[in-house]
Amino acid sequence: MVAEAVEAVAAEAVADAEAKAMNTPLDRVGLGWRPDLAVGILEHLDRIDLLEVIADDFFSAPRQQVRALKTLAAQIPVVLHGVSLGLASSAPVETKRLDQMARLMDQVRPEFWSEHLAFVRAGGIEIGHLAAPPRSPASIDAAAANLYRAQATVGAKPLVENIATLIDPPASTLSESAWINGILSSSNCGLLLDLHNVLANGLNHGYDPLEFFRQIPPERIAAMHIAGGKFISAPDGTQRLLDDHFHDVPDPVFELLEETAARAPGPLTVILERDGDYPSMDSLLAQIAQARSALATGRARRVPLVEAVA
Amino acid sequence: MSSSANQLEAFLARLYVDAAARASFKSNPRVEAEKAGLSDEQCAALENLDWIGLEMAARSFAKKRQLKRPLTWFATLKARLSRLRFFCFV
Repeated sequence: MVAEAVEAVAAEAVADAEAKAMNTPLDRVGLGWRPDLAVGILEHLDRIDLLEVIADDFFSAPRQQVRALKTLAAQIPVVLHGVSLGLASSAPVETKRLDQMARLMDQVRPEFWSEHLAFVRAGGIEIGHLAAPPRSPASIDAAAANLYRAQATVGAKPLVENIATLIDPPASTLSESAWINGILSSSNCGLLLDLHNVLANGLNHGYDPLEFFRQIPPERIAAMHIAGGKFISAPDGTQRLLDDHFHDVPDPVFELLEETAARAPGPLTVILERDGDYPSMDSLLAQIAQARSALATGRARRVPLVEAVA
Repeated sequence: MSSSANQLEAFLARLYVDAAARASFKSNPRVEAEKAGLSDEQCAALENLDWIGLEMAARSFAKKRQLKRPLTWFATLKARLSRLRFFCFV
Protein backbone atom coordinates (compact mmCIF):
# COMPACT_ATOMS: atom_id res chain seq x y z
CA MET A 1 0.00 0.00 0.00
CA VAL A 2 2.77 2.40 1.07
CA ALA A 3 4.94 1.30 -1.84
CA GLU A 4 2.07 2.02 -4.24
CA ALA A 5 1.59 5.47 -2.78
CA VAL A 6 5.32 6.21 -3.05
CA GLU A 7 5.30 5.00 -6.65
CA ALA A 8 2.32 7.21 -7.45
CA VAL A 9 4.02 10.26 -5.93
CA ALA A 10 7.24 9.45 -7.79
CA ALA A 11 5.36 9.03 -11.09
CA GLU A 12 3.63 12.37 -10.56
CA ALA A 13 6.99 14.04 -9.81
CA VAL A 14 8.49 12.54 -12.97
CA ALA A 15 5.53 13.72 -15.08
CA ASP A 16 5.84 17.18 -13.55
CA ALA A 17 9.60 17.29 -14.25
CA GLU A 18 9.03 16.08 -17.82
CA ALA A 19 6.41 18.73 -18.39
CA LYS A 20 8.79 21.39 -17.09
CA ALA A 21 11.66 20.07 -19.21
CA MET A 22 9.44 20.11 -22.30
CA ASN A 23 8.34 23.66 -21.45
CA THR A 24 4.70 22.55 -21.26
CA PRO A 25 3.13 23.90 -18.08
CA LEU A 26 0.33 21.89 -16.56
CA ASP A 27 -2.74 23.54 -18.05
CA ARG A 28 -6.28 22.70 -16.99
CA VAL A 29 -9.70 23.11 -18.53
CA GLY A 30 -12.88 23.24 -16.48
CA LEU A 31 -16.47 24.35 -16.51
CA GLY A 32 -18.64 26.88 -14.73
CA TRP A 33 -20.83 25.13 -12.15
CA ARG A 34 -24.53 25.74 -12.82
CA PRO A 35 -27.36 23.84 -11.10
CA ASP A 36 -28.86 23.05 -14.52
CA LEU A 37 -25.62 21.29 -15.51
CA ALA A 38 -25.03 19.54 -12.19
CA VAL A 39 -26.09 16.04 -13.21
CA GLY A 40 -24.00 16.09 -16.40
CA ILE A 41 -20.99 17.52 -14.58
CA LEU A 42 -21.11 14.92 -11.83
CA GLU A 43 -21.36 12.13 -14.38
CA HIS A 44 -18.26 13.39 -16.21
CA LEU A 45 -15.88 14.54 -13.48
CA ASP A 46 -13.13 12.51 -15.15
CA ARG A 47 -13.25 14.86 -18.18
CA ILE A 48 -13.41 18.15 -16.28
CA ASP A 49 -10.28 19.37 -14.47
CA LEU A 50 -11.97 21.89 -12.20
CA LEU A 51 -15.18 23.80 -11.55
CA GLU A 52 -15.77 27.51 -11.17
CA VAL A 53 -18.57 28.35 -8.76
CA ILE A 54 -20.37 31.71 -8.64
CA ALA A 55 -19.54 32.83 -5.10
CA ASP A 56 -22.46 35.26 -4.78
CA ASP A 57 -24.95 32.38 -5.17
CA PHE A 58 -23.72 31.06 -1.82
CA PHE A 59 -23.41 34.29 0.19
CA SER A 60 -26.86 33.83 1.70
CA ALA A 61 -27.32 30.16 0.95
CA PRO A 62 -28.65 27.76 3.59
CA ARG A 63 -26.01 25.81 5.48
CA GLN A 64 -26.76 22.52 3.71
CA GLN A 65 -26.01 24.10 0.33
CA VAL A 66 -22.64 25.36 1.52
CA ARG A 67 -21.99 21.88 2.95
CA ALA A 68 -22.83 20.39 -0.45
CA LEU A 69 -20.40 22.81 -2.08
CA LYS A 70 -17.68 21.73 0.37
CA THR A 71 -18.39 18.11 -0.53
CA LEU A 72 -18.10 19.00 -4.19
CA ALA A 73 -14.78 20.78 -3.53
CA ALA A 74 -13.49 17.59 -1.91
CA GLN A 75 -14.10 15.70 -5.17
CA ILE A 76 -12.77 18.15 -7.74
CA PRO A 77 -10.73 21.39 -7.58
CA VAL A 78 -13.03 24.37 -7.18
CA VAL A 79 -12.42 28.09 -7.74
CA LEU A 80 -14.77 30.88 -6.65
CA HIS A 81 -15.90 33.65 -8.97
CA GLY A 82 -17.47 36.89 -7.71
CA VAL A 83 -19.88 38.94 -9.79
CA SER A 84 -21.13 41.75 -7.57
CA LEU A 85 -18.29 43.26 -5.54
CA GLY A 86 -17.66 46.10 -7.97
CA LEU A 87 -13.90 46.14 -7.48
CA ALA A 88 -13.29 48.81 -10.11
CA SER A 89 -15.80 51.18 -8.59
CA SER A 90 -14.58 54.60 -7.50
CA ALA A 91 -16.42 53.98 -4.20
CA PRO A 92 -14.90 51.61 -1.64
CA VAL A 93 -16.13 48.04 -2.04
CA GLU A 94 -18.72 47.21 0.64
CA THR A 95 -17.28 45.54 3.74
CA LYS A 96 -20.32 43.28 4.11
CA ARG A 97 -19.76 41.77 0.67
CA LEU A 98 -16.04 41.26 1.31
CA ASP A 99 -16.87 39.57 4.61
CA GLN A 100 -19.26 37.23 2.80
CA MET A 101 -16.56 36.34 0.29
CA ALA A 102 -14.04 35.82 3.12
CA ARG A 103 -16.46 33.49 4.95
CA LEU A 104 -17.13 31.43 1.84
CA MET A 105 -13.41 31.22 1.05
CA ASP A 106 -12.81 29.94 4.54
CA GLN A 107 -15.57 27.34 4.22
CA VAL A 108 -14.80 26.08 0.72
CA ARG A 109 -11.03 26.66 0.53
CA PRO A 110 -10.92 27.07 -3.26
CA GLU A 111 -7.70 27.15 -5.25
CA PHE A 112 -8.23 30.85 -5.98
CA TRP A 113 -10.94 33.47 -6.34
CA SER A 114 -11.63 36.02 -9.01
CA GLU A 115 -13.74 39.13 -9.67
CA HIS A 116 -14.43 41.57 -12.47
CA LEU A 117 -12.90 44.96 -13.13
CA ALA A 118 -16.29 46.64 -13.12
CA PHE A 119 -18.64 48.82 -11.14
CA VAL A 120 -22.10 47.42 -10.49
CA ARG A 121 -23.68 50.17 -8.38
CA ALA A 122 -23.19 53.89 -7.77
CA GLY A 123 -25.11 56.66 -6.04
CA GLY A 124 -27.47 54.10 -4.50
CA ILE A 125 -28.42 52.64 -7.90
CA GLU A 126 -27.96 48.93 -8.64
CA ILE A 127 -27.16 48.59 -12.34
CA GLY A 128 -27.88 44.86 -12.25
CA HIS A 129 -24.77 43.82 -14.11
CA LEU A 130 -21.14 44.65 -14.76
CA ALA A 131 -20.51 48.16 -16.08
CA ALA A 132 -17.20 49.54 -17.29
CA PRO A 133 -16.00 52.57 -15.32
CA PRO A 134 -14.35 55.47 -17.14
CA ARG A 135 -10.77 54.34 -17.76
CA SER A 136 -8.46 56.87 -16.14
CA PRO A 137 -5.53 57.05 -13.70
CA ALA A 138 -8.13 57.85 -10.99
CA SER A 139 -10.08 54.64 -11.63
CA ILE A 140 -6.82 52.67 -11.61
CA ASP A 141 -6.08 54.07 -8.13
CA ALA A 142 -9.63 53.32 -6.96
CA ALA A 143 -9.47 49.73 -8.23
CA ALA A 144 -6.05 49.23 -6.62
CA ALA A 145 -7.40 50.51 -3.28
CA ASN A 146 -10.38 48.14 -3.52
CA LEU A 147 -8.13 45.24 -4.42
CA TYR A 148 -5.93 46.01 -1.43
CA ARG A 149 -9.01 46.01 0.84
CA ALA A 150 -10.25 42.79 -0.77
CA GLN A 151 -6.95 41.06 -0.16
CA ALA A 152 -6.81 42.28 3.44
CA THR A 153 -10.33 41.03 4.21
CA VAL A 154 -10.49 37.86 2.15
CA GLY A 155 -6.91 36.82 2.86
CA ALA A 156 -5.93 36.29 -0.78
CA LYS A 157 -5.65 38.44 -3.87
CA PRO A 158 -8.27 37.78 -6.50
CA LEU A 159 -7.51 37.25 -10.15
CA VAL A 160 -9.10 40.22 -11.92
CA GLU A 161 -11.19 39.83 -15.05
CA ASN A 162 -11.66 42.14 -18.04
CA ILE A 163 -15.33 42.74 -18.87
CA ALA A 164 -17.28 43.07 -22.11
CA THR A 165 -19.05 46.36 -22.71
CA LEU A 166 -21.54 47.49 -25.35
CA ILE A 167 -20.67 51.14 -24.65
CA ASP A 168 -17.16 52.47 -24.68
CA PRO A 169 -17.04 54.05 -21.21
CA PRO A 170 -17.32 57.83 -21.57
CA ALA A 171 -14.72 60.19 -20.13
CA SER A 172 -12.01 57.56 -20.55
CA THR A 173 -8.48 58.80 -21.04
CA LEU A 174 -6.78 55.40 -21.32
CA SER A 175 -7.05 52.46 -23.68
CA GLU A 176 -8.46 49.28 -22.19
CA SER A 177 -5.09 47.52 -22.28
CA ALA A 178 -3.28 50.45 -20.62
CA TRP A 179 -5.99 50.61 -17.94
CA ILE A 180 -5.84 46.88 -17.20
CA ASN A 181 -2.03 46.94 -17.15
CA GLY A 182 -2.14 49.88 -14.74
CA ILE A 183 -4.37 47.94 -12.35
CA LEU A 184 -2.31 44.77 -12.65
CA SER A 185 0.91 46.55 -11.84
CA SER A 186 -0.46 48.70 -9.02
CA SER A 187 -2.29 45.79 -7.35
CA ASN A 188 0.13 43.02 -8.31
CA CYS A 189 -2.86 40.80 -9.10
CA GLY A 190 -2.99 38.10 -11.74
CA LEU A 191 -5.32 38.32 -14.71
CA LEU A 192 -8.33 36.20 -15.56
CA LEU A 193 -8.48 37.01 -19.24
CA ASP A 194 -11.95 36.60 -20.72
CA LEU A 195 -11.26 35.87 -24.36
CA HIS A 196 -14.82 36.38 -25.58
CA ASN A 197 -14.84 39.79 -23.86
CA VAL A 198 -11.65 40.70 -25.72
CA LEU A 199 -13.27 39.62 -28.98
CA ALA A 200 -16.53 41.49 -28.24
CA ASN A 201 -14.84 44.74 -27.19
CA GLY A 202 -12.52 44.62 -30.18
CA LEU A 203 -15.42 44.16 -32.60
CA ASN A 204 -17.71 46.65 -30.84
CA HIS A 205 -15.17 49.40 -30.33
CA GLY A 206 -13.05 49.01 -33.42
CA TYR A 207 -9.75 47.51 -32.43
CA ASP A 208 -7.92 44.32 -33.26
CA PRO A 209 -8.36 41.79 -30.44
CA LEU A 210 -4.92 40.37 -31.22
CA GLU A 211 -3.36 43.82 -30.87
CA PHE A 212 -5.05 44.28 -27.46
CA PHE A 213 -3.82 40.87 -26.55
CA ARG A 214 -0.21 41.67 -27.44
CA GLN A 215 -0.28 44.63 -25.07
CA ILE A 216 -1.11 42.46 -22.03
CA PRO A 217 1.94 41.06 -20.20
CA PRO A 218 1.63 37.28 -20.72
CA GLU A 219 3.23 36.45 -17.39
CA ARG A 220 0.20 38.03 -15.66
CA ILE A 221 -2.29 35.70 -17.31
CA ALA A 222 -3.22 32.95 -14.88
CA ALA A 223 -6.68 31.95 -16.07
CA MET A 224 -9.04 32.44 -18.96
CA HIS A 225 -12.75 32.36 -19.62
CA ILE A 226 -14.11 31.10 -22.90
CA ALA A 227 -17.74 31.60 -23.89
CA GLY A 228 -20.02 32.49 -26.76
CA GLY A 229 -22.38 35.34 -27.53
CA LYS A 230 -24.54 36.70 -30.32
CA PHE A 231 -24.66 39.68 -32.62
CA ILE A 232 -27.44 42.14 -31.87
CA SER A 233 -28.67 44.90 -34.14
CA ALA A 234 -28.06 48.52 -33.22
CA PRO A 235 -30.64 51.21 -34.07
CA ASP A 236 -28.32 52.50 -36.82
CA GLY A 237 -28.34 49.12 -38.56
CA THR A 238 -24.87 48.08 -37.41
CA GLN A 239 -24.30 45.10 -35.17
CA ARG A 240 -22.54 44.59 -31.87
CA LEU A 241 -21.44 41.39 -30.18
CA LEU A 242 -23.27 40.66 -26.93
CA ASP A 243 -21.40 38.46 -24.45
CA ASP A 244 -24.41 36.50 -23.23
CA HIS A 245 -22.86 33.06 -22.54
CA PHE A 246 -25.87 31.48 -24.25
CA HIS A 247 -23.96 30.22 -27.29
CA ASP A 248 -21.12 27.89 -28.18
CA VAL A 249 -17.54 29.16 -28.11
CA PRO A 250 -16.74 30.60 -31.57
CA ASP A 251 -13.54 29.78 -33.45
CA PRO A 252 -11.87 33.22 -32.92
CA VAL A 253 -11.97 32.57 -29.16
CA PHE A 254 -10.16 29.25 -29.61
CA GLU A 255 -7.62 31.09 -31.79
CA LEU A 256 -7.03 33.61 -28.99
CA LEU A 257 -6.69 30.71 -26.56
CA GLU A 258 -4.01 29.13 -28.75
CA GLU A 259 -2.24 32.50 -28.93
CA THR A 260 -2.29 32.81 -25.14
CA ALA A 261 -0.86 29.32 -24.72
CA ALA A 262 1.93 30.25 -27.13
CA ARG A 263 2.83 33.34 -25.11
CA ALA A 264 2.01 32.76 -21.43
CA PRO A 265 4.87 31.20 -19.49
CA GLY A 266 2.86 29.90 -16.54
CA PRO A 267 0.26 27.16 -16.19
CA LEU A 268 -3.15 28.24 -17.45
CA THR A 269 -6.59 27.49 -16.09
CA VAL A 270 -9.38 27.71 -18.66
CA ILE A 271 -13.07 27.83 -17.71
CA LEU A 272 -15.90 27.32 -20.18
CA GLU A 273 -18.82 29.57 -19.17
CA ARG A 274 -22.39 28.76 -20.15
CA ASP A 275 -25.34 30.54 -18.55
CA GLY A 276 -28.36 29.35 -20.53
CA ASP A 277 -29.78 27.64 -23.65
CA TYR A 278 -27.81 24.68 -22.37
CA PRO A 279 -26.65 22.25 -25.05
CA SER A 280 -26.05 18.56 -24.39
CA MET A 281 -23.23 17.63 -22.04
CA ASP A 282 -21.50 16.02 -25.04
CA SER A 283 -21.41 19.42 -26.72
CA LEU A 284 -19.90 21.09 -23.63
CA LEU A 285 -17.35 18.30 -23.28
CA ALA A 286 -16.46 18.68 -26.96
CA GLN A 287 -15.79 22.41 -26.36
CA ILE A 288 -13.61 21.50 -23.37
CA ALA A 289 -11.72 19.05 -25.59
CA GLN A 290 -11.31 21.74 -28.26
CA ALA A 291 -9.90 24.09 -25.61
CA ARG A 292 -7.37 21.44 -24.55
CA SER A 293 -6.41 21.02 -28.17
CA ALA A 294 -5.96 24.80 -28.66
CA LEU A 295 -3.79 24.93 -25.53
CA ALA A 296 -1.65 22.04 -26.77
CA THR A 297 -1.23 23.63 -30.21
CA GLY A 298 -0.25 26.94 -28.63
CA ARG A 299 2.20 25.30 -26.24
CA ALA A 300 3.79 23.42 -29.15
CA ARG A 301 4.50 26.76 -30.83
CA ARG A 302 6.49 27.99 -27.87
CA VAL A 303 10.28 28.08 -28.04
CA PRO A 304 11.51 25.36 -25.64
CA LEU A 305 13.32 26.84 -22.64
CA VAL A 306 16.43 24.78 -23.39
CA GLU A 307 16.69 26.26 -26.91
CA ALA A 308 15.91 29.74 -25.66
CA VAL A 309 18.75 29.56 -23.11
CA ALA A 310 21.20 28.05 -25.62
CA MET B 1 -11.75 58.19 -3.72
CA SER B 2 -12.46 61.33 -5.71
CA SER B 3 -16.01 62.58 -5.35
CA SER B 4 -15.88 63.70 -8.97
CA ALA B 5 -15.36 60.10 -10.11
CA ASN B 6 -18.16 58.98 -7.76
CA GLN B 7 -20.50 61.56 -9.25
CA LEU B 8 -19.69 60.48 -12.78
CA GLU B 9 -20.31 56.80 -11.98
CA ALA B 10 -23.59 57.69 -10.24
CA PHE B 11 -24.64 59.72 -13.28
CA LEU B 12 -23.80 56.83 -15.61
CA ALA B 13 -25.63 54.36 -13.35
CA ARG B 14 -28.77 56.52 -13.61
CA LEU B 15 -28.46 56.67 -17.39
CA TYR B 16 -28.13 52.88 -17.52
CA VAL B 17 -31.28 52.17 -15.50
CA ASP B 18 -33.62 55.11 -16.10
CA ALA B 19 -35.15 55.63 -19.56
CA ALA B 20 -36.54 59.06 -18.62
CA ALA B 21 -33.10 60.22 -17.43
CA ARG B 22 -31.63 59.00 -20.71
CA ALA B 23 -34.22 60.93 -22.72
CA SER B 24 -33.62 64.16 -20.78
CA PHE B 25 -29.89 63.74 -21.10
CA LYS B 26 -30.08 63.07 -24.82
CA SER B 27 -32.14 66.19 -25.41
CA ASN B 28 -29.72 68.38 -23.46
CA PRO B 29 -26.52 66.61 -22.46
CA ARG B 30 -24.54 69.61 -21.19
CA VAL B 31 -27.33 70.92 -18.96
CA GLU B 32 -28.12 67.52 -17.47
CA ALA B 33 -24.45 66.75 -16.83
CA GLU B 34 -23.92 70.15 -15.19
CA LYS B 35 -27.02 69.61 -13.04
CA ALA B 36 -25.38 66.41 -11.79
CA GLY B 37 -22.38 68.47 -10.65
CA LEU B 38 -19.95 67.02 -13.17
CA SER B 39 -16.76 68.85 -14.11
CA ASP B 40 -16.35 70.73 -17.41
CA GLU B 41 -14.12 67.96 -18.70
CA GLN B 42 -16.66 65.27 -17.81
CA CYS B 43 -19.52 67.30 -19.34
CA ALA B 44 -17.56 67.66 -22.57
CA ALA B 45 -16.80 63.93 -22.65
CA LEU B 46 -20.46 63.09 -22.13
CA GLU B 47 -21.51 65.30 -25.04
CA ASN B 48 -19.56 62.94 -27.29
CA LEU B 49 -21.10 59.86 -25.77
CA ASP B 50 -21.60 56.66 -27.76
CA TRP B 51 -25.41 57.08 -27.88
CA ILE B 52 -26.07 53.78 -29.62
CA GLY B 53 -23.89 51.95 -27.14
CA LEU B 54 -25.72 53.66 -24.28
CA GLU B 55 -29.12 52.42 -25.50
CA MET B 56 -27.84 48.93 -26.15
CA ALA B 57 -26.09 48.72 -22.79
CA ALA B 58 -29.21 50.01 -21.01
CA ARG B 59 -31.34 47.36 -22.73
CA SER B 60 -28.87 44.64 -21.82
CA PHE B 61 -28.72 45.76 -18.15
CA ALA B 62 -32.54 45.84 -18.03
CA LYS B 63 -32.67 42.22 -19.20
CA LYS B 64 -30.17 41.20 -16.54
CA ARG B 65 -32.20 42.94 -13.83
CA GLN B 66 -35.33 41.22 -15.12
CA LEU B 67 -33.62 37.84 -14.75
CA LYS B 68 -32.64 38.69 -11.17
CA ARG B 69 -36.18 39.67 -10.12
CA PRO B 70 -37.51 37.76 -7.12
CA LEU B 71 -39.30 34.59 -8.18
CA THR B 72 -42.95 33.84 -7.47
CA TRP B 73 -43.55 31.44 -4.54
CA PHE B 74 -44.16 28.59 -6.97
CA ALA B 75 -40.99 29.26 -8.97
CA THR B 76 -39.01 29.55 -5.72
CA LEU B 77 -40.32 26.21 -4.51
CA LYS B 78 -39.56 24.59 -7.88
CA ALA B 79 -36.02 26.02 -7.91
CA ARG B 80 -35.37 24.84 -4.35
CA LEU B 81 -36.59 21.34 -5.07
CA SER B 82 -34.55 21.18 -8.22
CA ARG B 83 -31.42 22.42 -6.42
CA LEU B 84 -31.97 19.90 -3.62
CA ARG B 85 -32.21 17.13 -6.22
CA PHE B 86 -28.94 18.22 -7.83
CA PHE B 87 -27.08 18.48 -4.56
CA CYS B 88 -28.26 15.00 -3.54
CA PHE B 89 -25.86 13.71 -6.20
CA VAL B 90 -22.85 15.31 -4.54
